[in-house]
Order: sequence, then C-alpha cells, then structure tokens
Amino acid sequence: MRWKSWWRWAIVLISILGLGNPSWAGEPTEQLKGTIDKIISILSDPALKGPENAEERNRLVRQAVDERFDWEEISRRTLGRHWSRRTKEERKEFIRLFGKLLERTYRRKVDDYSGEKVVYENEVLDGDYGVVKTKIITKKAKEIRVLYRMKKNGDSWYVYDISIEGVSLINNYRNQFNSIIVRSSYHELIKKLRAKVSAQ
Amino acid sequence: MRKFDLELAVGIFMIAGILCLGYLSIKLGRMEVLGEKGYEVFAIFSNSGGLRAGSPVVIAGVEVGRVKEITLDDYQARVRINLPVDVKIQEDAIASIKTKGLIGEKYIEITPGGSEKFVEPGGRIRDTQPAVDLEQLISNYVFDKL
Repeated sequence: MRWKSWWRWAIVLISILGLGNPSWAGEPTEQLKGTIDKIISILSDPALKGPENAEERNRLVRQAVDERFDWEEISRRTLGRHWSRRTKEERKEFIRLFGKLLERTYRRKVDDYSGEKVVYENEVLDGDYGVVKTKIITKKAKEIRVLYRMKKNGDSWYVYDISIEGVSLINNYRNQFNSIIVRSSYHELIKKLRAKVSAQ
Repeated sequence: MRKFDLELAVGIFMIAGILCLGYLSIKLGRMEVLGEKGYEVFAIFSNSGGLRAGSPVVIAGVEVGRVKEITLDDYQARVRINLPVDVKIQEDAIASIKTKGLIGEKYIEITPGGSEKFVEPGGRIRDTQPAVDLEQLISNYVFDKL
C-alpha cells in the first residue's frame, strides 16, 4: 500500500516536471530554432568574420541550411506542373541551380548580419505539416515577419517554403519560372539560371 | 374573340417581362438558383484585406470560381471558395490574395502546383499568401528611412 502511493506520487511529479517545460514550442519550432541558432553562431563567430573568411563562412552556413531545407520539395513546388515533365537528370540539375540561385540571392543579406534577433511567435500543426511564425528584430527595432512552412519526413521537419512579410518565396519563383517556361521553354529557363548563377 | 387575343398578348408580354427581370436580377446579383454547381474548398489567410463574398477566383488570369463566404477562425480569415468540378487544385497549389491594379478590387489567385494529389471537396488549400498590406509596406519603408 505504501509503495503504491509512493509510486503514484513519483508519476505525478515526473509528469508535472515534464509538462512544466516552459516552452510551448513543438518539434518543428525546436528543430528550426536549432538550425537558426547554428547559423547565427557561425555568423557571429569572430574567427569566421571578415571578407577573407567569406568562403568558409558561406560553406558552413550552406551546410546548416541544407540540413533543414528540403531542396527537392522546394524545387518541385517551384516548378509546379512543369516538374513532372522533367527527366531525373533535369530535376537534379534544376535543384542544384535553384539552390545556388537562392544562395547567391541571400548571401549578401546573411553577410550583413549584425546581431539581429529572432523571436519565435507561434506554431500551427496540421498532421505532417507545420507553420512556424517568427520575427526578425533588427537593431533599429524594426520587425520583419518571417514564416516557415515545414513538412515532416521521418523524425525531422524540413522547410519547404518561406514567406517574408507575407510574400511566399515559392509563389514568387513559381510565377516567374512559369512565365519564362510558357513564353519560351524550359531550356531557356535553365540557360537563364546558369547565367545568373555563374555571374558572380 | 379579338378582345381575348389582345388580352392574351398583353399577358404573355407581361410574363416575358417578369421572366427577363428575374433573369437579370439573378445574373447581375450573381445569385445561384439551382443549387451549387461544382465543389467547395477553403483556405486560411492571415489577412483577407478587403476580399468579399463574390470576389473572383482566378487561375492564370481566367476566372474559375468565386468566394462564397469569409468567416473569422481563430483570428484568421477562413475563405470558402466555390470551384467547378473540372478544375482540380493540386495539393501544393498556393492561393494568394491580389489586387486588380494598384488600389482595385481584391481577388484570389491560385497558382497551380506539381503534386499528383488534389484537394478534395471540402478540403483545404494549405499554402496561402495574404493580401499585401500596402500601408504596412510603406510604413516599413518610412521607418527604415528614419
């Protein structure tokens, strides 16, 4: 009898401690936060500062991003209905080029990092899909709303779309690429992407 | 006999006139009489910015459906859309609220995705893009300049 009640108390205590975890954050937020914290620590690492370390820094950032971003899903969604008409090799090349394009576009922004803070606002789950709302707070206390759309694959959550101030990255490129493909051809799009990526 | 013919003719004209009026008011009021054709899906936007029931839904600029109803759901706008049966929406399609011209009427644009799965009747278009708040953009710009 004694032992039974002791056990009951132990269970209650454990569950209180477990639930008492102060964070409301679920899996997607936690995993996303892990990646963002990693990137911030790379960017604020004094050993990696300065233009002479740019290459190494970019490599590390890209590596951290690759862990959390599902490039295939992003590319598939961006090409939309044109995706199914592409061969395996074409898809692979598109994923590579599009990744490079985004890297190039955002590298300068990342290089400009100077202690901006990221606040995690909330998270909405819907089965294997999740949305994480965050805010980037700049030094001038300006707020930029950034929303991550994530999808669960196995135990991990991967980002498949980002909305900055309500404008979706995928929707933007989907419209652009679609109009290029419809106007000329897929090969024209690849040619343009290659030119853009190689022009440093 | 002649009198009867005249009355009949007037009656027929009257009925024809009433029918025309009914037809016009249904057409202009964009009402649906014989039940709903097509199917319904919904989407949740963080800001519906002036979208109204009856606003058009377009794909590639072609009007394919209309907004049926907008309600508040957990402080977000839940928009019900009516679409014809032959227009299938892929699961990864994106619904965005756009403005005709700079300050014109609001409408929903659906950019088709590449998924082989389609949104079921009553289902949800998961990815949305809210109305771009021009004032907010301007104020961001203004505050940045300070």
